[in-house]
Amino acid sequence: MSIESNIIQVENLTVAFGGFKAVDGISFEVKRGEIFGFLGANGAGKTTTIRCICGLLNPTSGTVKVDGKDVSSSTSVLKPRIGYMSQKFTLYPDLTVKENLAFAGSLYGLKRKQIKARAEELMQFIGLTQHLNEPVKLLSGGVKQVVALAATLLHDPDLVFLDEPTAGTSPTTRADFWRLIRTLAQNGKTVFVTTHYMDEAEYCGRIVLMERGKIIATGTPQELKEQFFPQPPVELVFSRPEISRVRAELERSNIGEAENFSGGLRVRVNDWARFEAYAKEQAGVFAFHPVEPTLEDVFLKAVSGRKGA
Amino acid sequence: MRLFLRRVRSVAAKEYKHILRDPFTLVVALVLPLIFVGMFGFVIDLDYKHMRLYVRDNDQTSVSRRFLQEVSSSGYFDQTPLHGPAQADEALQKNNTPAVLIIKPGFGRHVKAGDISDPGQAQLLTDGTDNVQASIIQIYMRGIIEATNALFLPEGGEGASARIRTRFLFNPELSSRWFIVPALSTVIIGLLAIMLTALTVAKEWENGSMELLLSTPVRPAEIVLGKLIPYFLLALFDVLVVFVLALTVFRIPFEGSFLLYMLACAVYVTGALALGLVISVVTRQQQAAIQFAFAVGLLPSFIFSGFIFPIENMPLFFRWFTALFPQRWFLLISRTLFLSEAGFAPLAPAFWGIGLFAVVMIVLAVFKFKTDVEP
Repeated sequence: MSIESNIIQVENLTVAFGGFKAVDGISFEVKRGEIFGFLGANGAGKTTTIRCICGLLNPTSGTVKVDGKDVSSSTSVLKPRIGYMSQKFTLYPDLTVKENLAFAGSLYGLKRKQIKARAEELMQFIGLTQHLNEPVKLLSGGVKQVVALAATLLHDPDLVFLDEPTAGTSPTTRADFWRLIRTLAQNGKTVFVTTHYMDEAEYCGRIVLMERGKIIATGTPQELKEQFFPQPPVELVFSRPEISRVRAELERSNIGEAENFSGGLRVRVNDWARFEAYAKEQAGVFAFHPVEPTLEDVFLKAVSGRKGA
Repeated sequence: MRLFLRRVRSVAAKEYKHILRDPFTLVVALVLPLIFVGMFGFVIDLDYKHMRLYVRDNDQTSVSRRFLQEVSSSGYFDQTPLHGPAQADEALQKNNTPAVLIIKPGFGRHVKAGDISDPGQAQLLTDGTDNVQASIIQIYMRGIIEATNALFLPEGGEGASARIRTRFLFNPELSSRWFIVPALSTVIIGLLAIMLTALTVAKEWENGSMELLLSTPVRPAEIVLGKLIPYFLLALFDVLVVFVLALTVFRIPFEGSFLLYMLACAVYVTGALALGLVISVVTRQQQAAIQFAFAVGLLPSFIFSGFIFPIENMPLFFRWFTALFPQRWFLLISRTLFLSEAGFAPLAPAFWGIGLFAVVMIVLAVFKFKTDVEP
C-alpha cells in the first residue's frame, strides 16, 4: 500500500561530480497528488536531485524509483509521464511561442491537432493569450516562465517538476504561478517544486529542507513548525530604546537569535526557561508576545542547529 | 516507427526554422562557397605560361626552325636566342630562366630520315630548384616534340606506330584549372558541410535546450537524423552552386554522368554533415566545435586526398591511410566524372569509400550522443 501511494521513492541517493558530492545520501518519498516542496539555498543539490528523478542524470549510488520503476532502466516508459520545467530557460529563443509548443508537443508524439487543442486549453488555463506568434526571445521574464510551464504541461504529464519556476519573476507572476500549481494538484497531478522563497513553501503539502547535499528536515509545514518550535518565536516590544543591548545579550548568552523588525525584536528562542528568566529581569525594558513561526524561521533554525551540532 | 518518423520530421522542421532565422548559418551556406571558389579557383593557378626559354639552334635547318616555331606557338615559352655555351650556364645560374634548349647539329636530317634508333637530338636543361616547374616544362616540351614529329612523319610511314607518343587524355590542354576545380569542389563542399552541422548540437547544449530535448522521449537517432535532413538540402544547394561556377566561370567541361555525380555528392555530403554532428556531439561547445570542424574539414582534404600530393607517390602506409578519408574517394569521383565519361563500375570502390564513411559517422553521432546532463 505504501508503495502505491508513493509516486517517487528516493533511497540513499548520492551524486558526485569529481570529488564534490552535490547530493549526499538522501532518502525521501513523494506521495501521489501532493505538492511537494524542495527547499534550500542555491547549490544545496535541489536541481541535481530533480535531474536524477527525471532521468537526466545518473546517480553515483542509491536508487530512484518512480511508480515502483527504477528510473535509470525505464526512462522511455517514464519520460512521457513526466513534465520537467528546468530552472534555466530551455525553449528556443528564435522560435515563436506556438512553434516552441508545437515542437515540444511533437516530441511526445502528439499530433498537430492534439497539440493545437491542448495548447488552447492550456493558454486559457494559464491566461496567456497574447504573444503567441512572437519569438520567445522578445518576451519578458515572467511571460517566458509561463510559456515554459505551458511547454511542460502540454503532454498532460501526471508528475510535474518545476525547478525554481518563480525565480526572478514579479510578485504578481509568483502569485499566478502558485494558483496554477494548486489547480494542477487539485486535478490529481503530483507537483514537485523547488524554491528558495520560504513564503512560497507554505503552499506545499510536504517539504524537504536541503542544505549542502543533505536533507536537514522533512514534514508538512505545520509539522516542521511544531518540530522546530515547541515554543513559538516571540516579538519583543520595547518601552525603552535599548534594542541593541538586548539583542547583543540574547545572542551572546545563546538564549536565542534575534532580528530587528519595526520598533522591536523578533526572537527565535533556543532556551525557553532562560528566556523567561531574562524577560522577567528586563521587565521594564520590553514586553513580549508569542507569534506564529514561519518556514523562514524553521529553515534558519534548522541550519543554525546543524552548525551548532 | 511512425512515432520515430514524426519526431525526426519535427526536429527537421525546427532546424529548418533555425536556419532561416540565423544569419550566420545562411552566410556560411550561401556566401562562403562563393568566397572559397573565388579564392582557391583564381589564386591556385598551377598553369605555367610564357616561361622564358633560352634557345640555341646549332642545326639551322627548316626542320629545326619549324620545331622552334611549334615551341613558340604553344604559348608556354618565350624564346630568347643564346650565343655560346657559356651564356647557357650563366642564364641558368642567374636564376632568370627556367630552361635552356639546345638543338644539336644534324637534327633536321635525322628527323627527316625518321629512324627511331637514330633520332634528331635536342638538349633541354631545366632549373631543378623548382622541380614542379621543371617537370611541367619537360611534359610540355615532350608534347611539342610529338607534334613536330607528326609534322615530319613520312606519308604512311611505319615509324608512326613505333614512336613513343604521349597524349594527355581527358585534359588535352593539361590545364591545371581543369584539374583543380573538380578537386576544389571536394574541399569546399566537405568543409561547408562539416561547418554547417558542427554548431548545431553544441548550440543546444549552450543555450540549455538540450535539457528540454533530453527530458522528452526523443531519442538520439531521431535528433541526429532530424538535424541531418535540412542541412543535407542546404549542402546539396551548395553542391549545385559550386558545380555551376565550375562550368560557367571556370569553363570546366563536364563529361561524365550528372546523375552519378549528384549521387556521389549526396553521399559525400551526408558523411561530412554527420562528421560535423560527431564533432558537435563530442565537444558540446560551439567554439571548440568550429575550430575542430575547420581543422578536420580542411587538412585531410589537402593532404590526404590527392589534391596536392599524389597518392601514388606516397609510402604504402599512407596510401592505405588515405582510404580513411572520404575526400580522397570523392576527389577521385569528381575528377573522373568531370573529365571523362566513366560509368559507375570503375568508381565503385570510391562509392564504397564515401558510403561507408557516411554510415560510420551517423552511427558514431548517435552512439556518442550524451543522454544525460552530467557536466
